[in-house]
Amino acid sequence: MRESVVRSIGLTASLAYGALVLWLYATQPQTMAQVSGGLTSIIGAYSIDQQAFDDGLRFFRADKFPEARAAFARADRAQRDARTEFYIAYAFYREGWGRLYNDDALFRQGLTAVDAAIALAPNGRLLVDDPNLQMHSADELRAELQRGVTVDASDFNPLRVVRKRK
Amino acid sequence: MTAAREAIVLPILLITVSLLGGLHPAARIAFVPPSLFCLVLSTLLVAALVRSGALDPARLLHASRSPLANANGAIVLAALFAAGAQVFELLTPGTGLPAFFVSVFFFVLLVNTLVASPDRVRLLRSLAVIFGAGLILKFVVLAGLAQPAGRMTRVLVALFDAATFGSITQDPEPASTGYLAFLTVALYLTAAALLPGSPRGGLLQTAPRMQLPEG
Repeated sequence: MRESVVRSIGLTASLAYGALVLWLYATQPQTMAQVSGGLTSIIGAYSIDQQAFDDGLRFFRADKFPEARAAFARADRAQRDARTEFYIAYAFYREGWGRLYNDDALFRQGLTAVDAAIALAPNGRLLVDDPNLQMHSADELRAELQRGVTVDASDFNPLRVVRKRK
Repeated sequence: MTAAREAIVLPILLITVSLLGGLHPAARIAFVPPSLFCLVLSTLLVAALVRSGALDPARLLHASRSPLANANGAIVLAALFAAGAQVFELLTPGTGLPAFFVSVFFFVLLVNTLVASPDRVRLLRSLAVIFGAGLILKFVVLAGLAQPAGRMTRVLVALFDAATFGSITQDPEPASTGYLAFLTVALYLTAAALLPGSPRGGLLQTAPRMQLPEG
């Protein structure tokens, strides 16, 4: 084989391998599923498990939020799908919402999930067209979760017991 | 040196070291980039390799070489630097006094190696000893102390902590981390041995020597 061919192959392989290593350090995938999902999403070949997503949606609408999150997590093993991450965040919101007080731990997990959804969405804009939801954009959900973990004067308003879950 | 070694073998070996050096296998894996101090240590290491003649940069980057060959050489040099930094990151304990002392240990040993200007073979042996010592310290001694153990170990750790005014215990790591570290160090030493060396030895060996007067 000619020397220039060997050098060209070596250069291409080294650059590709180096780019892969840089990508791993930059994105910090934590599981092999995230690694493979990230790589397939780069080439546009990533897809969620639709059956698991439908299961998650059914649980979500039946107010079975831990079951819904488990199904959504199974549907999007690599955590690369913005819509699924949005539903996971919404499940945290609905489960953590309380008429008298919210569950801060669940709301914080919801914030993490909705931030991930925003990061995955093109230009950070995510709209979910679901008539069963009262909040259709990730920005609304994020603001609602943020309000839930922030203590301010409105938290002591007695009328808050009549507010409704979104 | 063959083109295959320079364009394929060395980059693959060194980039693999860069990948494995920062890999922390656990239930959730993490990739830890090198600290600033590890970059300094890696610079010293590359300088030591050049000074000893284990690496001749002119055989990787030179005006007389083709652009393609120079690109291959540049990748080898960049990967060598990154791999060295990651090996030091791998061998330096994570926290406490061991992190400080091992960093100083590496720094002093590298400066000493630079000043002593060993030849290629001696430098590679010296590197094997430096990395081997770091490996044993972190993955055998400190990892042993970090394991949940009996009363005697806890007493020893408490005595160490009291005597050194700081913590020596590290976070426990899975057993696979040590094996991975061993593989990473072995790959780095293999790559260092395969580097294109200076045919006449190191810089000092190539410098003109003072002639004693005859008679």
